[in-house]
Amino acid sequence: MSWFAKYFPNAVTMKSDFIQATGETLYMTLITAVVAGILGMIIGIGLIVTQPGGILENRIIYNIFDKIVNLCRSIPFVILLAVIAPLTRVIVGTAIGTTAAIVPLVIGSAPFYARQIQNALAEVDHGVIEAAESVGSSPMGIIFRVYLKEGLPDIIRSSVLTLISLIDLTAMAGAIGGGGLGNLAINVGYSRFETDVTVLAMLIILVIVFAIQLVGDLLARRVDHTA
Amino acid sequence: MTNEAIIELKNIDVTFHNKGQTVNAVKDVSLTVDRGDIYGVVGYSGAGKSTLVRVINRLQPPTAGTVVVNGQDILHLTPRELRVARTKIGMIFQHFNLMDSRTIADNVGYPLRFRLSKKNRQEKVAHLLELVGLSEKANDYPAQLSGGQKQRVAIARALANDPEILISDEATSALDPKTTSSILELLKRLNKELGLTVVLITHEMEAVKEICNKVAVMESGEIIERGDLVSIFSQPKKPLTQDFINTATQINQALEKIYKQSSALDLSDHQQLVQLQYVGASTDAPLITELYKRYDVVSNILYGNVEILQDTPLGNLIVVMSGEPDKLQEAWQYCQDAGIKITHLKPTDSEVA
Repeated sequence: MSWFAKYFPNAVTMKSDFIQATGETLYMTLITAVVAGILGMIIGIGLIVTQPGGILENRIIYNIFDKIVNLCRSIPFVILLAVIAPLTRVIVGTAIGTTAAIVPLVIGSAPFYARQIQNALAEVDHGVIEAAESVGSSPMGIIFRVYLKEGLPDIIRSSVLTLISLIDLTAMAGAIGGGGLGNLAINVGYSRFETDVTVLAMLIILVIVFAIQLVGDLLARRVDHTA
Repeated sequence: MTNEAIIELKNIDVTFHNKGQTVNAVKDVSLTVDRGDIYGVVGYSGAGKSTLVRVINRLQPPTAGTVVVNGQDILHLTPRELRVARTKIGMIFQHFNLMDSRTIADNVGYPLRFRLSKKNRQEKVAHLLELVGLSEKANDYPAQLSGGQKQRVAIARALANDPEILISDEATSALDPKTTSSILELLKRLNKELGLTVVLITHEMEAVKEICNKVAVMESGEIIERGDLVSIFSQPKKPLTQDFINTATQINQALEKIYKQSSALDLSDHQQLVQLQYVGASTDAPLITELYKRYDVVSNILYGNVEILQDTPLGNLIVVMSGEPDKLQEAWQYCQDAGIKITHLKPTDSEVA
């Protein structure tokens, strides 16, 4: 490990900081992924079934979902962090810390995921939906047994994309008090001119991203029977 | 074949509004299909035939009119009742519409989930796959199958609920002629063996010719002509119907070639280009010989075709008749008396070009 000490002179002394920061990043990512994943999935499905020509066409609900998603996606995340601080305080009790960061992370990523899910499900052939309707499938049956099943490869691919962009957001949230690798890279590495800390934090994030990408690709290929 | 109506469409209107434009896809169409029919609906694309049949299972709600299927008013059902009614109306599509993520067996078993136990479902799926001749493909995915095989899977899926009606929406249009025939054969067999009523939408009169017993011709949202297959083929009234039939019997193609040949065009006063059309028993009479013996009229056959429609032969001959003008008249009279339809063909300039 001598080469490691040579190239990462500051980082090598901060082993526990790195472990904690990595844990915080994974914690923020995981909890947000679950909450935003469920929310985004519901909104995404809502958008696809209520859209004009959808199986539960409903202009009002569609427009409400559509506008909310557009609005949330229009706000830059850094500003969102600050703007919703009062709401975070109501929900979590504090606006600072790793758990507090989850509120803006969910609000920042759920609409993005909803749009991804909507796009993924829009790829499901309308003819297949029609065929399911013609054999007497209910709307719920079509959502779970056609949309989610047929759209699964694309859903996995968009989930990977969303997860990776979520890690990006955690780094940003970390920089303003949420902890995690982003916090380490900016508030320690960058501010104290300990560049090796910043680089190592970046490398760990890269490893996490590549791992997610790899697993996602494998899964998507496994469930994809189109070719 | 009983004459009990299984599908009754009355005064159906379907109007689409799109960006301020109003399209009357179906205009005041009434159609009755009897149990056991194979009813062909023919028309060019955009004629409204797909829209019309989608009204039968309410995939397309009509703007006006009534739909009665199996004695049930389809337009006044609750969503739940409609889903039950739909299980009795199978449907197959031009692009098969199979689920890529499911195996063949799972595709066929899709409608049976929650309706049959797992064991019964597997038995039923195996039986259906056997019926369409694809037992060995049960664990394959649709992407591994040819077009004809995919359509067979779609047929098996459509039959899973034991429907009484099968709607075929251009189901053979994406297939090659040989596969088309085999799919049509299958539909005919299902009609005979299961008593399945089939509504066949197509733009190919050939398909209708092969299996239908009744046919309706659609143009711009209206049924312009309808009737049993043999009478439509032997006595088409509307130009569009004639056009479809001439394409199906390949008379159009034959005429096109004949008109290109100058020998057929440079006819003397003693010669006439005529089309003879005969239905049923008159196909058997030795007509050409008879004409020569009786009237000294020589017939030079340029094209001949016999179709067997619903076990009734329908013959078409294009001949050049040569003889004395008054003898020719007598010969034509003789033909007409024998129940043979005579059309005098005069290649117009436009057709020659």
